[in-house]
Amino acid sequence: MRMASRIGVVVALGLIASAAHADHHGMAMMGEADEPTAFDASVDLVAASYNTLTEAGDYEGVLPAVGWRHGRYGVGASLGLYRIMLNGLGEHGIGDLMIHADAMVYSHEHITTGVMMMVSVPTGEEIYGLGMGHTMLMPSLYGAWSAGRVTVNASAGFSRAIAQMEAGHDHGVWPLVDPMNMSEIAWSAGCDVALGRGVHGTVRAAGGIPVALMGHERVIGAARAGWGSGRVDTALEVQAGLVGDPFTIRGLVETALHF
Amino acid sequence: MYRIVILFALVACSGASPTPTGTECADPDPITGTTTLTWDNFGHDFMFEYCTNCHSSDLPNSKRNGAPIYHDFNTLLGVLEVADHVDEQTGWGPKAENNFMPGGGTNGRCPSVPGGSLDEDCPEPTAEERTNLAQWLACERLRSHDGSGSAN
Repeated sequence: MRMASRIGVVVALGLIASAAHADHHGMAMMGEADEPTAFDASVDLVAASYNTLTEAGDYEGVLPAVGWRHGRYGVGASLGLYRIMLNGLGEHGIGDLMIHADAMVYSHEHITTGVMMMVSVPTGEEIYGLGMGHTMLMPSLYGAWSAGRVTVNASAGFSRAIAQMEAGHDHGVWPLVDPMNMSEIAWSAGCDVALGRGVHGTVRAAGGIPVALMGHERVIGAARAGWGSGRVDTALEVQAGLVGDPFTIRGLVETALHF
Repeated sequence: MYRIVILFALVACSGASPTPTGTECADPDPITGTTTLTWDNFGHDFMFEYCTNCHSSDLPNSKRNGAPIYHDFNTLLGVLEVADHVDEQTGWGPKAENNFMPGGGTNGRCPSVPGGSLDEDCPEPTAEERTNLAQWLACERLRSHDGSGSAN
């Protein structure tokens, strides 16, 4: 796979993941450049504070993830372990199990597009804000355009809980550690610039627009610095909740190892 | 597979998910009757017995033991703001018997004083009290209120 395509897919999939699941998968999805088959493992550390209409507090998490890619196709999974402070109540627990599969549909010199299906399994405790309480299906499309040091990318998808719900009831966004609506259009857009010596910087935005069911629009903005050396990639990211109450501020440290 | 089926059956039968009780107020609401449930003769005492050690507007966020903000039951208007939630979590009626609260999310532990630590097993409302709660809510939400918390 060409390096430009690889970067495009990595960033685009990272954006999708960020829109659908707290930006935890982007780095674990791809192996070393030009390797037809690759296995990746990553660990993310996350810390955030939040202040929604009915909940206030903070949380920290450790999110291991694994991914496997063969040619155009990739699969992966992640499961977070969190400590959350919720209106004065401290709890520990796992979040929802996230599983994804993606396929690159088109790849040319500067353009890469693909499809992705993400599924969350409700393994996290809903009452503590660690889980959605329902299985979520999140199909999406992604695209990336690369020119020189710059990669611009975007994604859009539909996320829906597998549950019978009243359209007139405001289900809000949940869970606290990974907020989304029960039914929404998820989107993301960003720009990545390679700065040399394996260092790159990214700015991006992501969000969700409720559809079919009552909910709340949200937008987050993020700035990221990453660097790679050999088989290891590391990144730092700071996110801010801009619209809605996804969180006040959140920080991520990500390290991925490619085999 | 057998264990999975059993697990789903237990969850389905546990009534764990919040469900509206389907309780309806008699029409017309017999508010003048001495046995009619009101905030003064039922709601206040119920809330202060089972709820307000966590669900109170007097408590800062850090002392609520997980109780959602704006779910404050130390006033009638506070209860009415989220009457559906109260019914779905604690009330008993023809369509559901909800036992999630008090103690849901805290493994049945409650503070013995407002804003305190989870130092005792939660006091449990009786079946009659849970049924009366749903009936009181069904009627109280239909009454007009003057903003002070009193029914007109």
